[in-house]
Amino acid sequence: MKDNVLEIKNLVKDFPGVRAVNDVSFNIKKNTVHCLVGENGAGKSTLIKILTGAFTRTSGKILLDGKEDVAKNPKDANEKGISTLFQELNVVDQLTVEENLTLGIEDTKLGFLLKTGKIRKISEVLKNIDPSINPKERVGRLSVAQKQIIEIAKAVASDADIIIMDEPTAALTESEIERLFKIIKKLREQNVTVIYISHRLDEIFELGDYVTVMRDGRHIDTKPLSEVKDRMELIKMMIGKTVMESYVPCESICEDVLLDVRKVSNHKLKDVSFNVRKGEIVGFYGLVGAGKTELARAIFGADKYSGSIEFNGAMLGNAPDKTIDAGIAFVPEERRTQGLFTLLTIKQNISAMNMEKVSRGGVINSAREKDVAREYIEKLDIKTDTMDKETALLSGGNQQKVVFSKCLFADASLLILDEPTRGIDVGAKAEIYQIIRDLAKEGKSIIFFSSELPEILNSCDRIFLLYEGELRAEMINGECIDSQEIIHICTGGVC
Amino acid sequence: MDRISKNKKGKMSNESFINISMFVVLLVAFALASIFIPRYFSVPIVLNLLANNWYIIILGIGVTFLLITGHFDMSVGGVIAMSGAITAYLCQTQQEGFSELATGLGMSYGLSVALALLACMAIGAINAFFIAKLKVASIIVTLGTMSVARGIAKVITKGAQRSAGLPDEFGVIGNVSLIGPIKIAVVIAFVLVLIALFIEKKTVFGRKTYYIGANRAAAWLSGIKVGRHITTLYLLSSLLAGITGILLASESRAAVSMRGEGFEFSALVVTLLGGTSVDGGYRGGRPDPRRRRFGGHQHAVAA
Repeated sequence: MKDNVLEIKNLVKDFPGVRAVNDVSFNIKKNTVHCLVGENGAGKSTLIKILTGAFTRTSGKILLDGKEDVAKNPKDANEKGISTLFQELNVVDQLTVEENLTLGIEDTKLGFLLKTGKIRKISEVLKNIDPSINPKERVGRLSVAQKQIIEIAKAVASDADIIIMDEPTAALTESEIERLFKIIKKLREQNVTVIYISHRLDEIFELGDYVTVMRDGRHIDTKPLSEVKDRMELIKMMIGKTVMESYVPCESICEDVLLDVRKVSNHKLKDVSFNVRKGEIVGFYGLVGAGKTELARAIFGADKYSGSIEFNGAMLGNAPDKTIDAGIAFVPEERRTQGLFTLLTIKQNISAMNMEKVSRGGVINSAREKDVAREYIEKLDIKTDTMDKETALLSGGNQQKVVFSKCLFADASLLILDEPTRGIDVGAKAEIYQIIRDLAKEGKSIIFFSSELPEILNSCDRIFLLYEGELRAEMINGECIDSQEIIHICTGGVC
Repeated sequence: MDRISKNKKGKMSNESFINISMFVVLLVAFALASIFIPRYFSVPIVLNLLANNWYIIILGIGVTFLLITGHFDMSVGGVIAMSGAITAYLCQTQQEGFSELATGLGMSYGLSVALALLACMAIGAINAFFIAKLKVASIIVTLGTMSVARGIAKVITKGAQRSAGLPDEFGVIGNVSLIGPIKIAVVIAFVLVLIALFIEKKTVFGRKTYYIGANRAAAWLSGIKVGRHITTLYLLSSLLAGITGILLASESRAAVSMRGEGFEFSALVVTLLGGTSVDGGYRGGRPDPRRRRFGGHQHAVAA
């Protein structure tokens, strides 16, 4: 057992209402590239955060080099030889490469910076990895890939035994990815263990020695990649037996097209065209970075785009106030930063999108506003003792219901939902699905963006698959839908 | 959570706690000043305190609305001087042989005031253009326009003052006395505060101001025209500063280049004492013009 650098035993992590990591046990062998795969919400990130000390575990054991020696916080993890490359880069653009390399570990004397041994040593490491980067250059001028290399150099120079990479290729171009892979292979020769997380399955096959599959917080399997037959086998492990058990085809869809999106492109989207009919729930599935949020924001007019969008037979304006007036409402991905006024009360939140309806001549009719708040608190079953409660104090599910109320009060005929069930517990999720279905029954149309396949499969009438900003496929729910095929397409496979 | 549970037990809410503590601080400051400063506790001084803070209170209205949305307006002091200087220059008599500082364009007082206020709102428009459209930090832009406005005032008054050759109406509005030292300006300030209170609490405009302050991104995604709203607020703040400048110039029957210097800080202090957070929106309590009044008095007592 001595060749295991990391042993995870019966690890459990509970969040309020959710068990994010559920009894996970597996080992990571020394000097290997160990890949971690699973759908969004499978528990990969939580697991990584426990390893690096950002979260504390609820129960279970983690053995580092055979000893129980858990990192208490990210800094402690660094000292114990675990470095992490997060998706978001931790470099300071205004400083030079050298300064970034020694950031936080500078040699100082009486508070003054010393340009001594440490800088030279790390610069040497950087030179070995990529001689083309000038240590005196300002980091702001470098490409994303080069910034990533700086972070890798920092990790290697700190004598890390384990380097964790969370979606390192998300922002890289093909040639940059190739270079990164070379570096990773070199690291393996230098006795470093790499834990590699990616949604792109091809990368896993090219790079990995071992693969661990997680699903719904559970450990499914860990095996050498040489024993994995093909992508399909991996996908099967990732999604298990997901079926659309509760999907009921909706009868109320009529043939009238409500929204017609034609050749919409922007920095992320490529020629997206589709339409939505009245009373229809249209789902968009894709992995992180596939362009779901960008498409949602473009339709709502929050982002610029080229191409045309017709709504109710008229061209749609490109600004949220215009699209709201036309009859579209948007539940954004980030509830706290984009959807909710957390400092304001439930009552004040609900009326935000349609102040005209609770006011006359610019003066708010507070009795009317209270009636509206009462109506929606009852209708969506928002659990609170008073409508004057600050929304910051509500649970995630109830906060999301407040955002829904806000959108419903705007009298929209089309609702755009971007990850509407993110970060809320199972019970509230079910309630949200019910609300969505009820809305469709009332004749409203819904565009449902999600990176959770089961919820797309049990709610939507029609499903579009996004990959890298492109529409890759359209499927009618209820007709031979194959979730393996869906994952295959959404991880870059060809139909 | 803490606060909610307190409310449930029927204890004091944060808002009334802040209100009451502000009042207590005011009383304590006043008591201390009365004890340690000879002749402080006397009728004229108390009346004076009530009567002579009106300009800070008027300025505080515009500055508060902006601060709720997370924006500064440091240009108000300069705008005060500019509005007085422009009004004086436009309405001074047009006679040969007078010194340059006593000669103006000879317009009627009413027209002069209207044009001066327009000029002030132009400063507000410049603020709004850079801040709402080009997204430059508000403190930088308004510190810049503060100097621009002050510079215009200095050029018009040649760094001194215009006090000769003014029509008689010039000195009226700032000097109509009601009771003792309390002038009409105090009433104007009081009325404006009431209007501000109404707008803040009861209107869609006031509510939108809070939405923007609480969460600008969410406000925009909720269909609020954020840029237009901030523009309106800057125009309003400059207009109020312009009115203040005209009242002050009228009170002393002179347009002085250094008038209103440092008033932007007083207005800001009063607003902050009134409970508005610099982050926009509010934390721990709602900003309230009543408190702003207390703030104004506290500030005056301290001074």
